[in-house]
Amino acid sequence: MTRKFTLLFLLIAVALAVAAPKRAAQIRTGTNQGVIGVKIAVPEFQSASSDPKTAALLAIFNKVLWDDLDYAGGLTLVSRSLYPLGKFAGPGDIKPEAWTAPAVDAQFIAFGSIQAGNGSMSVEARLWDLKATQNREAIGQRYKSDDTDEGARFIAHKFADAIVDLISGGKGIAQTSIAYISERTPGVKELYTMDYDGSSAHALTAYKSTVLTPAWSPDGEKIAFTSYRRGIPDIEILSRSDNRPYTFERPGGTTTTPAWSPDGSKIAFATSRDGSDMEIYVADWNGKNLRRLTVSKGVDISPVWNPRTGREIAFTSDRSGSPQIYIMDAEGTNVRRLIEEGGHAVNAAWSPDGQRIAFAWQKARSNFDIYIHDLTTGQNTQLTSDAGSNEKPTWAPDGRHIAFESSRTGTKQIFSMILDGTKIRQLTNAGNNTGPAWSGFFK
Amino acid sequence: MRLTHMKSVLLALFLFGMLFLVGCGGKKTAAAPTPPPPVTPPPAAPAPAITLRAEPATIERGGSTTLTWEARNAGSVTITPELGTVSVTGNRAVTPGSSVTYTATATGPGGTASDIARVTVNVPAASTTPVEPPRRPDVSSGGLAQNVSDVLFDYDKADLRPEMVDVLKKNASWLKTNANVRFTIEGYCDDRGSEEYNLGLGDRRANVVKEFLVAQGVAANRINTVSYGEERPLCREETEECFAKNRRAHFAQMN
Repeated sequence: MTRKFTLLFLLIAVALAVAAPKRAAQIRTGTNQGVIGVKIAVPEFQSASSDPKTAALLAIFNKVLWDDLDYAGGLTLVSRSLYPLGKFAGPGDIKPEAWTAPAVDAQFIAFGSIQAGNGSMSVEARLWDLKATQNREAIGQRYKSDDTDEGARFIAHKFADAIVDLISGGKGIAQTSIAYISERTPGVKELYTMDYDGSSAHALTAYKSTVLTPAWSPDGEKIAFTSYRRGIPDIEILSRSDNRPYTFERPGGTTTTPAWSPDGSKIAFATSRDGSDMEIYVADWNGKNLRRLTVSKGVDISPVWNPRTGREIAFTSDRSGSPQIYIMDAEGTNVRRLIEEGGHAVNAAWSPDGQRIAFAWQKARSNFDIYIHDLTTGQNTQLTSDAGSNEKPTWAPDGRHIAFESSRTGTKQIFSMILDGTKIRQLTNAGNNTGPAWSGFFK
Repeated sequence: MRLTHMKSVLLALFLFGMLFLVGCGGKKTAAAPTPPPPVTPPPAAPAPAITLRAEPATIERGGSTTLTWEARNAGSVTITPELGTVSVTGNRAVTPGSSVTYTATATGPGGTASDIARVTVNVPAASTTPVEPPRRPDVSSGGLAQNVSDVLFDYDKADLRPEMVDVLKKNASWLKTNANVRFTIEGYCDDRGSEEYNLGLGDRRANVVKEFLVAQGVAANRINTVSYGEERPLCREETEECFAKNRRAHFAQMN
């Protein structure tokens, strides 16, 4: 069995000859101050060729670009119903005053055209700063790929990220990926990855067994996970690009919940190799140089490193009688409880900036919901409510989005949302899908 | 068509003339209106151009693809990774082990130009054969399955309930008389707690049972433990009755 692998096309991106000087007029946005997002108009890209494939590619491109920008956070997309009438393919079609008029009131406009033929497609894409008096063109790029759905998607993601990087005050995540566990035959769980928007899902394993708890290496090249393939669960590592396995020496006992150190050199995990219960250990990422970090009666599991400093590890322990989140120094010292208010607190996920911990909290004996604990203020903010059980939060590398698993549809599926709890979207449908792990930015 | 072309040529000439005039205008302050010297600027070196293609763009692992490149106005061409400096125009078969993007850079007096070609390598999903040993059906009438019972637990607990201590004592006596039987204790949970914590809880349940049996005189080296957490439940309904069945330690014969 083989599978199509990630990007099935050639990509060439060249600056358009007509592009204005590299730096457009200084672009200032309000997003860094936490005010309303920059307003951007995104009229549909136009077809510049009669090739029959163009219409389908155009539809995909237009949808993906809109969704990417709409979902970025920090941008406000002006509704297309407010746009001037007409088709907007090239610079000659844009009259800035029509787009800055009170009815539309856009600061930026993204527009362009698509051409397909002879197996390839080419997108001419521009971003204009409508309020600039000169050097209006902030981006002028021609992107090329083969004429596939994936090609159209890829170019849309690429252009969206370029826009987000430039004007939203954040960094674009449209080219990131989410690893997760998919159960499409009852009792069989395989490791999958998908694009950040749920498209292009594919299996990395065909073990016909159970795998759980995927974790990305910081360079995005490897995924560590729990595998029951050999009976007693242990940790396996696969390369994302070619499925190559790496050896992780089995410590013995039920071994699970791997987590990479921020420098990628070590893995923290839980194992019952000592007999009575799970303890947190750390080892080199090949499983050698094993060191025990926790010594407590009860379960110690689900370690995660502070990705900013690598100096602390958060984990779940029931040493107090119920599962709670604790933080210790990376050597296992100075253990302190994070959430004091009771219930069950699990699934700690450290934000990329190290300032916050997302977690799943079951306050009474009901459903879990996703919360964020601010490490500076100690404040807990609830992100989900009244929609099934919501668990396993994972941060996007921009620190502005979170994916999680939820039972709200009756099956377990993966959803994502902006950090304020808005724009919740369902990413998976087939079977049951759990344990999302959002990648970092790929190099 | 031709007319349009003529128009463009005329327009170009006109623009050129305008530039010329503007250029002269800038020299208005010059004392003598000397005619401009007939200078022909040295022709700028033409910019290099290069195309790089991979055919086919998608291969199976172990297969090969052919890179073809063609450069103009270039003195040298470099292709990375792997190929290095190559002739200005050429082709070569490559067999990348994983998906890769080749970059061809042409360098000439007029600057540099580059093009890229991505080759996608289809790789088989890791190990299509499960190496997990098949569960050995235990059908012999006098076997472990008929004589050793599951141990059930309370919600979120790994402590032995009093009636389960009696169950375990019976299990221990059978296991001691059948000293050649090696077995795995599998710990399970209902699916209400969190998945990861339940892996730890199932592990505790299995180990609590193991410790009890060892204390009763069953040799520890006959016993393996494994936690399934909330995986592979006995019962898949969301009812209290079902939850209770799933919170268990189960015995599976290894030999």
